[in-house]
Amino acid sequence: MIDRQIALLKRELWEHRSIYITPLAIASIVTLGVLAMLVFASGYAEELDLAIFGAANIVGDPARSAALTGFFLGTSWIFLIALAILTVFYCLDSLYAERKDKSILFWRSMPVTDAETVVAKLITALVVIPLAATIGIIATNLVNLIVTSVWVSMKGGDAGLLIWGSVPLFDNWLAAFMVVLASGIWMSPFIGWFLFVSAYAKRFPLLMAFMPLILIALLEKIILKTHIFAEVVFGRGNGMPLFRAVDIDRFFGEEQWRVTQDAASLLVHLDIVKFLTSPSLWGGVIVCGLLSTAAIYVRRYRSEG
Amino acid sequence: MTSLVSAQGVSKRFGSICAVDNVSFEIEKGRILGLIGLNGAGKTTLLKALLGLTDCEGQLSVLGLDPFRQRKELMQNICFIADVAVLPRWIKVTQLLDFVAATHPKFSRKHADELLAKTKVRPGAKVRELSKGMVAQLHLSIIMSIDARLLVLDEPTLGLDIIFRKEFYDHLLNDYFNEERTILITTHQVEEIENLLTDIMFINDGRIILDSSMDDIAGKYVELLASGEGAAAAREFGPIYEREVFGKQVMLFEGVAREQLEGLGEFHMPSIADLFVAKVKGAVA
Repeated sequence: MIDRQIALLKRELWEHRSIYITPLAIASIVTLGVLAMLVFASGYAEELDLAIFGAANIVGDPARSAALTGFFLGTSWIFLIALAILTVFYCLDSLYAERKDKSILFWRSMPVTDAETVVAKLITALVVIPLAATIGIIATNLVNLIVTSVWVSMKGGDAGLLIWGSVPLFDNWLAAFMVVLASGIWMSPFIGWFLFVSAYAKRFPLLMAFMPLILIALLEKIILKTHIFAEVVFGRGNGMPLFRAVDIDRFFGEEQWRVTQDAASLLVHLDIVKFLTSPSLWGGVIVCGLLSTAAIYVRRYRSEG
Repeated sequence: MTSLVSAQGVSKRFGSICAVDNVSFEIEKGRILGLIGLNGAGKTTLLKALLGLTDCEGQLSVLGLDPFRQRKELMQNICFIADVAVLPRWIKVTQLLDFVAATHPKFSRKHADELLAKTKVRPGAKVRELSKGMVAQLHLSIIMSIDARLLVLDEPTLGLDIIFRKEFYDHLLNDYFNEERTILITTHQVEEIENLLTDIMFINDGRIILDSSMDDIAGKYVELLASGEGAAAAREFGPIYEREVFGKQVMLFEGVAREQLEGLGEFHMPSIADLFVAKVKGAVA
């Protein structure tokens, strides 16, 4: 049972190599970007006073920690965007490509149920891709910290103290993993929808996935003059109840510096209890379950002949 | 003998089209059955129903299981090659073998490796890099390494050259088939397989128009080559099909004893292709 599920997950990685190539590509691009930035900053070493990465006269440890966390965020956000795009394309392709190239006949000649197959795809979207993105985030962070350490050392700073001793690495990595994982679960109704479209669409799955959503939103606006559907569907991405409330006034007010200091560990900003007790989360999970079941049903009952 | 496959009143409709129409038959263990039909006759639909890939009306039992509802259990004892193009093109040969080894309890990886070692298929190659013939060899090597009780082949040699086709069937017969196994084949190149079949079934417009063992065909059908008065006399016995070849009449009789036609012309054993044409045209008429 477990062996079979692992084999199915491996199949997903073999078929969709972008799952691990994308994080690798982004890690390379981000690292190159950081290198370029450091080379550029070197030219202005005197003027900038190099406060951020640990020249000896930096303002203080908490500020340096916050700056390093800011650096981590700056190099990580792109993974979140890539994760979202990758997941959309993966899900839409996962049950469509095998029908298009007829390999579904081979897969279905093996003693594997349609439910096991669809569950493997769901696990890939909800766990494997976020895991790959997290590994990408951690690897990028490590490489960039090493690069920065070398740079700081070259400037005469103590990288061990100024860089590695200042940043709450594991806190931030764990927080990144939690955000990435939670984002997938929060957006799981879309994952279920894309899997269903992938199993159902005769052609143009991307179009088939977004057209109905846009049309329903438009029709609602024209006929009912409301935009509840658009808010629920397109607004979901903004409403993930994982983060502690940020006091915007305080952030942009006099206490900005203190908020930044608080930001040294990203874990502080996450509220897992709020996330796990959100009815909207579980409502979404149920929608995802129903749509995935529909995808299993379509894969099983569709007669291609 | 126990029936491996039992179909009673099986039908499959697609909207108003009846692809398989109230079909009943049995397939016994240790047979090689050829399912012959025109394009769109319902062959593939019937195979899909047998393989649990599509639901159908009527009573259908394969290895004592309901194929559609117990597909996973069924697939442990059935193998099928839909046609040579269904192996995923992106996969590597070793990945494919790993996958089958992990998902199929009756697959012998060692046997598959041994079989593949005799071919030009490189383990590190992707399926898309292989020729059609090599893909067929790969698929056959996998299938032959699974200890299944029923093997279903739907146009397995489509698009392959004659050497591969011959090797394919030779392997199947010599290295795979035994009295515990049953093979069901559909193909257009019927003349290539007629010597290996033990049973034959014709399907036309979703209906079975012939279901017989090859031994019975020889006793039941006779082809007569006659001309002039001989042909006219033979025609009295009601041939099911008649055609003209080089000025002589070729007549096919069903259930007419040779003794009755003695002296009217030359006897031949009808080929499956001739018999198929006769039955289909007869069914149309």
